[in-house]
Amino acid sequence: MEGFDILAGIFQGFRVTALVTLYGMLWAVPFALVTGVLQHFTRGTARFAVTCLIEFWRSSPVLILLFVLYYALPDFGIRLSSMTVGAMALGLNIGGYGSQAVRAALQSLDPGQVEAGRALGLHRLHILCLIELPQAVAAMMPTFVNQFIQLVKGTAIVSLITLTDMTFRAKQIAELQYNPVGVYTSLMLAYLIVCYPATLFGRYLERRVHIQNRGSREI
Amino acid sequence: MRFDPDFALSVIPTILSGLGTTLWITVAASLGAAVLGFTLEILRRSNRWLGYVMRFVIDAIRSTPVLVQLYFIYFVLPVYGLTLPAAASGVLGLAVYYSGYLAEVFKGGIDSIDAGQFEAGKALGLRRRDVILSVILPQMLRNVAAPMGNYFVSALKATPYLAVIAVPEMLGLAMEVGANSFRYAEPMVSVGAIFLILALGINVLVRKLEQRLQVAHQR
Repeated sequence: MEGFDILAGIFQGFRVTALVTLYGMLWAVPFALVTGVLQHFTRGTARFAVTCLIEFWRSSPVLILLFVLYYALPDFGIRLSSMTVGAMALGLNIGGYGSQAVRAALQSLDPGQVEAGRALGLHRLHILCLIELPQAVAAMMPTFVNQFIQLVKGTAIVSLITLTDMTFRAKQIAELQYNPVGVYTSLMLAYLIVCYPATLFGRYLERRVHIQNRGSREI
Repeated sequence: MRFDPDFALSVIPTILSGLGTTLWITVAASLGAAVLGFTLEILRRSNRWLGYVMRFVIDAIRSTPVLVQLYFIYFVLPVYGLTLPAAASGVLGLAVYYSGYLAEVFKGGIDSIDAGQFEAGKALGLRRRDVILSVILPQMLRNVAAPMGNYFVSALKATPYLAVIAVPEMLGLAMEVGANSFRYAEPMVSVGAIFLILALGINVLVRKLEQRLQVAHQR
């Protein structure tokens, strides 16, 4: 196999990479929103419990989380597929980071927004969903895109629990023939093709948020 | 098989014997990443064309998984006659990966230095190198201490990746215990607990350092 063939071979693993990313998002987004909002609203013991939950998923190295879930859960009678375990470990880890972005965005909102909602007689839940969260989500878009890139790149580790993603395919090809330069350069290129547009999009969003902030400060 | 807590406890000393390796790799990779990241950012600012190239280099580093970069360094460099020991490959891999993120952090840190500082340096007839090292670097470091600390903690949490290129850090030793005893669940849980405690401890330390720096800054 030469150049383009290797790249095509690696992209046969794209479906798994994309699926793990997708399922990972299904864990990450709800986890980030729920724990971020809870951490913002709770006080005392409840807040401590939420913080512990977030820190467990955020502070453990993601590779270790993956191995612990993969090897230890069956001992406790919980049997999950490699795909589920991979998505869960990656998703909850990224979700832990995301929760901090949600909390920070909620805290940085002008308190006048909530007061205005109260003055209009809205229920607290309505204030959260109709006033606070939409603004918070808009403010955290650049962070969100960066976390998404982290998730896509993170999926490379599922190759270590036998899922045939792009990295796993590359290692298979590397075993068939001795061509480390071709294989690993193509693998780099494959991730670059997938993630580079997202990186550029993240930069664009960051610039836009900065410009917005500058505009509002000058008024 | 059932989870055996006694076995999990009994493997802790073996795993902890890799703590030294984990820590020196973290320190070496952090220092390397800081030096390389600063160099990338200074080169990016040096002239227009080099600026475009460096910006692509930084984005490319940020768009590929650290695992793939490690494979690349470990398998591709020897083809060109540069055979590094596994630990050195690991340090180089982590240093390159985090240099991309630190370059971005340093960009913000340099942007927040008053333009008058550059001009004053020039007006005093300092050479460019002296302006960079004696005027910009010290002020930038104070600005970026907090985010830089976060990336150092990230580097600590990325050291388990080195297990895949046979570096005997803590996860590597845990895998070895698993391979010898055919029991992976217990060593994984033990190494997970050790990393969680380590990461949380260092988090607290970084926060303390941050507060102290801020107090010193206010004085």
